[in-house]
Amino acid sequence: MTAKTPDGKEVFKKSKIYMPVPQQLGRGDRMGRGPYEKSGMIRESGLPPHKTVTEKFEINFPFEDVKEGDKSVRKILAHDMTIDIELWYLPFGVKDEENSFLWQKVTKSVSISKTGK
Amino acid sequence: MRLLRFISVLLFIVLPMTVFAAHHEGMKKAKTIDELAAMYDSSSCKTCHEKIYQDWEKSTHSRSIFGTGRTAATIKTTIEVGLKGWDYSGVKKPEDVKVKHLMICAKCHLPQLQDAEDSVAQEIVKAVYAYSAGDEKAESTLKKLSINCMVCHNRNAIIHKWVDGFPEKGVVYGSKDGVHADTANPKMKKSPIMGESILCGQCHGLGPNFELENPSQCGTLYGSYLWAYQAEGGTEKCQDCHMRKSGLGHNMQSYRDPGMGKAAVKFDVEAYGHYWRDGAKIVPQAFVKVEMTNKTGHTIPDG
Repeated sequence: MTAKTPDGKEVFKKSKIYMPVPQQLGRGDRMGRGPYEKSGMIRESGLPPHKTVTEKFEINFPFEDVKEGDKSVRKILAHDMTIDIELWYLPFGVKDEENSFLWQKVTKSVSISKTGK
Repeated sequence: MRLLRFISVLLFIVLPMTVFAAHHEGMKKAKTIDELAAMYDSSSCKTCHEKIYQDWEKSTHSRSIFGTGRTAATIKTTIEVGLKGWDYSGVKKPEDVKVKHLMICAKCHLPQLQDAEDSVAQEIVKAVYAYSAGDEKAESTLKKLSINCMVCHNRNAIIHKWVDGFPEKGVVYGSKDGVHADTANPKMKKSPIMGESILCGQCHGLGPNFELENPSQCGTLYGSYLWAYQAEGGTEKCQDCHMRKSGLGHNMQSYRDPGMGKAAVKFDVEAYGHYWRDGAKIVPQAFVKVEMTNKTGHTIPDG
């Protein structure tokens, strides 16, 4: 997920991995990566069948605190953000041209009011 | 006399192992890739089942030890990082790799390798290394072997062999009994599992493959299907989604197919801006809620 202000500046970026975490050789706390060394499951963070996984994010609009006389005043630098939420499929764990692909993408425009107390 | 008894006992043990280790009773093991490919030759199926055959050709089943190239590469990694690094594998160099070693991968990617001699394992290893070195011919060599018609509709069509009998030579297992218009395979027999998920589960993973001397674990989807889908009341079979509803038939695909990808996950996002306040301080925030609903019968992704 990324959030950008209207000038194109990226102000937020976060990603999360969903996948089974296989155990290396069925022992201990190490993850196994290759099929030849995987035997068991340390945990499962993949999307479970017929269940909804909900993720919630709070993204701050950019601001700065400036001194105005004796007061500290919070100045909001952008009142609009474009937020891209992407779900990628990375069968080999990396974004590569041959195997990975963008599975789902939603773009949201979010604004906050410029007036009010 | 004792020696004679020992030899006869040894023969009694060794002979049946040799004869029955191959797939069909009396079947000789393949000595070359070409022999193994011929043993499971499905090219004649195309004559009558052209559309099905063409669908299958588009699937990765049709290039199961090559895959997208990554499968072949992973076989090499298995040898270099796994087998060669393990003290008791008996593999110090690629030339030491035998069928039993390749079964780490071939259990699912080429189950019929059980019906081949170690010379075939060596040919595959050579092709895998050659492909890795950029030899284009090696790719076509590896693509000679696959999960084809005769693997699913004969070799692996029966799982409970003591109940349903062993797969017979010349028989195509499917949805009905009868005569089959193919001189090489003149009979049709009903397989009790052709429409069941367990057929796919043979390869699509429960967890560690304990039948191997050194278990591997590739896919775990069938385990997820059993324990996280069926156990929760799921009723659909693999074939329902991957063949029938998708309309893909024997071109069984997963998320790479746009239709399958879209059907698999519902992706909803809500977002809005607001001010959070703590006394005199305000924090301008966007709240984003992402909901991902897996509509398949197994975890996403596999692994």
